[in-house]
Amino acid sequence: MDQVTTIEAFTATLKRDLLVAYKRKNDIFNPFMFFLIVCSLFPIGISPDPARLGEIASGVLWISALLASLLAMDSLYRNDFEDGSLEQLLLSPHPLYFLVLAKNMAHWLVSGLPVVIVSPLVAYMLSLPDDAYWVMFLTLLLGTPILSLLGSIGVALTVGLGSRGLILAVITLPMSVPVLIAGTLTVQEALNGASLSGYMAVLGAMFFGSLTLAPLASATALRISVT
Amino acid sequence: MAQEREIQNVLQAENLFCERDNRVLFKDLNFTAHRGQVIQIKGSNGSGKTTLLRILCGLNDAFRGELTWFSKPIQDHWEDVRSSLIYMGHRVGVNKVLTPHENLRWSVGLSTSVINEQIDHALGEMGLRGFEDSQCFTLSAGQQQRVSLSRLLLNKSLLWVLDEPFTTLDQEGVNLLERLLSQHANKGGVVFVTTHHELLLPNLTLLDLG
Amino acid sequence: MWMWFAKLGSPRWFYEISTKWLPWLASAMCILMIVGIVWALLFLPPDYQQSFTTRILVIHVAVAGTSLAFFPLMAVAGTITLVWKMKLADMVAKHAAPLGAWFSFVTLATGSLWGSVMWGTWWEWTDARLVSMLFQFFLLLSVVALRSAIEDPDKSAKACALLSIVGCINVVIIKYSVEWWNVLHQPSSPLSTSNGSANGPEFWMATGVMILAVYLFFIVSLTLATRNEILQRERRSQWVQEIVRTS
Repeated sequence: MDQVTTIEAFTATLKRDLLVAYKRKNDIFNPFMFFLIVCSLFPIGISPDPARLGEIASGVLWISALLASLLAMDSLYRNDFEDGSLEQLLLSPHPLYFLVLAKNMAHWLVSGLPVVIVSPLVAYMLSLPDDAYWVMFLTLLLGTPILSLLGSIGVALTVGLGSRGLILAVITLPMSVPVLIAGTLTVQEALNGASLSGYMAVLGAMFFGSLTLAPLASATALRISVT
Repeated sequence: MAQEREIQNVLQAENLFCERDNRVLFKDLNFTAHRGQVIQIKGSNGSGKTTLLRILCGLNDAFRGELTWFSKPIQDHWEDVRSSLIYMGHRVGVNKVLTPHENLRWSVGLSTSVINEQIDHALGEMGLRGFEDSQCFTLSAGQQQRVSLSRLLLNKSLLWVLDEPFTTLDQEGVNLLERLLSQHANKGGVVFVTTHHELLLPNLTLLDLG
Repeated sequence: MWMWFAKLGSPRWFYEISTKWLPWLASAMCILMIVGIVWALLFLPPDYQQSFTTRILVIHVAVAGTSLAFFPLMAVAGTITLVWKMKLADMVAKHAAPLGAWFSFVTLATGSLWGSVMWGTWWEWTDARLVSMLFQFFLLLSVVALRSAIEDPDKSAKACALLSIVGCINVVIIKYSVEWWNVLHQPSSPLSTSNGSANGPEFWMATGVMILAVYLFFIVSLTLATRNEILQRERRSQWVQEIVRTS
């Protein structure tokens, strides 16, 4: 019987969470459906005029992705908290940082990535000008993991609470403002035909910043919530 | 090193004090756990049994006093403790949508490398043959408890911390678990267990929290 | 050094030392507050551009400046709570969050009052400072909300400590990103030519007095709230019961 390395523990956790998600298909489909539905409400609520839609399309896509990510977050630790798996995770001899990262990654793959993949289609339906499709796609690809990593802190802080839906939103949404700004600005600038490298660099910096810091905060928060 | 470990105290507590909501759960609590010892923690409801077990695992740090792991301060050695610990709480740590096999693959695989045959063998030992691949929500509470207890066979851990492991088990399961506890003690392991059930074990020590 | 640090963490020591200091701080606050308010609201000469609205600005600037101190304070207190488990730090942090939310609210209210005169609108998204203040307000409210959501006092102390640290980092990032957002959306904001640049030395002197007064108000109210919290939490201890008996 050998001790496993941290990488093996990371992979085991990643695989296990993907397996749980596969068996609980709701976790994949609900945020995705939510994203599609919210996006299709905007033309009805605002205007079917392609010119007006095209102007707000990037914001609509980003805010819908933000809300979809928020809704999906709750399932990140809740079941594990309720059945005691979270205690087992905390008692593993490996740094919690990597295990939290594995859970975040699995969660993004099943709830964030589908939204990113379908975003060009929704962008077309919302009459976003063609030149911005790829930029939209890229910003969401870089941005939704940040939203997941930040949201993870909020979920970890509130995991033991009875009614956590609203408080989770109150904690997480203000934290997401910088990402929202960076994402939508990048798309706006793409529409203006400006050079994007600087904007992508800001998003990239946010991505790596949250990748290094947010799991630390999540891990600390989990220890607080479970003890 | 192995020799040295043999003679040392595995886990020692000095003047442990814990209060919750301004109510003292226990104070001046002293005990030493040697190799080969089963320590049964007794006490009425709300006397802090679960809290004590969680303190021993590092899941609760709201206490005062000294805890040592092989005579060294425990706060510097949590990693060592965790790599030789199996904890089973009220929530047994079994995911309902996964099968017993998949559950163990992860929970055991977090600390020990394990192959499929070993898992199936352990599940068989625990009386779950034929249930390896049914999702856990189809199992009874006692069977889920058995899934969690299978970890005792798969991780070769020194320290077992078991919170009310007998509650949902049937008579056969109780006998099985008692046998496991005594085997573990005979091999030099340490067990902390809370239960209201009378244990008949040679190396049993009682720790009464009142 | 460590002795001093440990002493500082003792609620009893804080209670006793603050009993001595509080009257002085409170009277200094009252004097400065009266001087500042009377000077700013009644005597400050009208600005050639902004006329009398500059008087609102004195209070606005002072409150806004103070409200920026809350998140750093809470983050420091949070670090102390998490690392050294010092109870006093959490008692301070617990009351800093709602007080900070009030300060942010007053900043927003006075800012929008001033804006209503200067810009003819109560709310202006083109002012980056107001927008980031709005999000600081939300973040402080989220700390307050988390505090009341978690019942176990020990757990809520630690959770809020962590959220304060994360929030403090976030406020800084929000501040810069909102400015960036703002510059790109509105190259010429109505604020770029106003707000302080045209104000004379007397305005800044009055503002200085007001900033001191508001800071003292912040310290005094936080100390009072912390003292209450100390009595509440240590109500079983000998020294608190003696205070209750003698008073």
